[in-house]
Amino acid sequence: MTRVALEHVSFWYPATSAPALEDVSLEVVGGELVALVGRVGAGASTLLLVAGDLAPRVVGGRLEGTVRFEGSDRAGKDGGRRIVLPSPWTQLSGMAFTVWDEVAFGPANLGWPRGEIARHVEHALALLEITGLNSRDPATLSGGELQRVILAGILAMNPAVLLCDEPTAELDPAGAQAVWRLLSALAREGKAVLVATSDLDALPDVADRVVWLERGRVAATGTAALLAGDAACAAGLGTTVAGVWRAAELAAPFPATVAAAVRRWR
Amino acid sequence: MALSPTLRLDRVSFAYGMVPALADVSFALGPGERTALLGRNGAGKSTVVKLVTGLLRPATGAVWVGDWNTRAHRPEALARRVGSVFQHADQQLFARTLQDEVRFGPRALGLAPAEIDRRVARALAVLELESHAGEHPYDLPPAFRKLATLACALALEPTLLVLDEPTSGLDRALRARVARALLERAATGVALLVITHDLAFAAETLERGLVLDRGRLAQSGPLADLLASRERLEPLGLAPPPVAVLSAALDLPGRPVREADAVRALARAARVAGGGRSI
Repeated sequence: MTRVALEHVSFWYPATSAPALEDVSLEVVGGELVALVGRVGAGASTLLLVAGDLAPRVVGGRLEGTVRFEGSDRAGKDGGRRIVLPSPWTQLSGMAFTVWDEVAFGPANLGWPRGEIARHVEHALALLEITGLNSRDPATLSGGELQRVILAGILAMNPAVLLCDEPTAELDPAGAQAVWRLLSALAREGKAVLVATSDLDALPDVADRVVWLERGRVAATGTAALLAGDAACAAGLGTTVAGVWRAAELAAPFPATVAAAVRRWR
Repeated sequence: MALSPTLRLDRVSFAYGMVPALADVSFALGPGERTALLGRNGAGKSTVVKLVTGLLRPATGAVWVGDWNTRAHRPEALARRVGSVFQHADQQLFARTLQDEVRFGPRALGLAPAEIDRRVARALAVLELESHAGEHPYDLPPAFRKLATLACALALEPTLLVLDEPTSGLDRALRARVARALLERAATGVALLVITHDLAFAAETLERGLVLDRGRLAQSGPLADLLASRERLEPLGLAPPPVAVLSAALDLPGRPVREADAVRALARAARVAGGGRSI
């Protein structure tokens, strides 16, 4: 069964004495979309790097605790743990002069046959609705177009575990909604999806679970209803609707979404 | 004589090789005007930033910053009037400490040391970055690097601030710092041109909306009216921010788009609805 699990994980970046993560336990299994929320510096990006085997293996530092991972042979020899980094231009291969080749870069490095690479690339371009960009030079794309290309490159590798750091930050509202729908559909297909995001208003419709990080620790875990709680609102992590409801001094529990607010209002 | 606008685009067109980016775009910003530049990905918004900062020259038409035509001025000269923040902070940070980073611009303008110190202190203070002044920019979390680039632009004390996605990756508390800094500068007459997909931030901070669609200027008008209108936004790849959706769904009087206005309208409506209702 696809899963990635952190068990009592603490992590220190190189040359730092305070842990970026402290005694974090979290499991994400195939079929669910889990959202990481928190204030800037709470540790969400670090958690993704640890879950994705980039910390400490690539970034250095020290890890205590255990990270377990079970992937899928079909996702590549390493089981298919893939990460989408927050700033898309830092993740460009620099080796491709067309969007098509950029998206094919990952699958090609998995050593797949040519026909299979092409099939996965075409599928990923279609999922991100960027087939029309396939002959463009990635260097000439806008930030939002680039974000779609990077996500397509990761999806073309057919990951078992998908780790995304602010995947909608560069997208227009329609594009952000489309990416949330896509991530949700990928979870339904059986992938394990873990997303760090500040797009709190999107989560009630897509997240199976929300994990709230505070100074490197898990402060709370629950459904997206967590984002309508008094504590989350006070910490700046409530949804907009919950925040308005609370500020207007209307009775708790606060509605998380417009739909819930309408039901309460009637 | 009427004041000349702080920024004026006069029938500007631009293409990247064979790929058209902007077609016949005209608009003007007056002193202190707080303007959002909106539109779907690839609509041409970042190209406007590059044209206004002089990094690109229009193929046809002209970009005027006050009485300067950008064709006649190099980007470093335009920096006397235009402060800019790019979409990706890491593209514009290079100094050893945050303080040196923020000093770089005013020093390059050839200002006196005391004036440089004043501007740097003011920029760091408004963004509450003083405690990070001695840190290496790359030791800061990405969100703080983003604030650092804004501090650099503020320290130039320009007449125009052009900001490309200044809130992406920021949490609510940091977004509020950015909003406060921008409102403070605008109150002193600095014009703002802010590219953003964060329509909630735009609603709180800006007053006028320009929307680009496939390189053309599709909308221009009061931002609150635009953000309240799903019919006007959706064909442009945009959607009303949550406060506007809530206002419409509950039919709040005045259909507020700013959070504080919605809170007041909601509280009042709940009082009017009275005790029998379990809201």
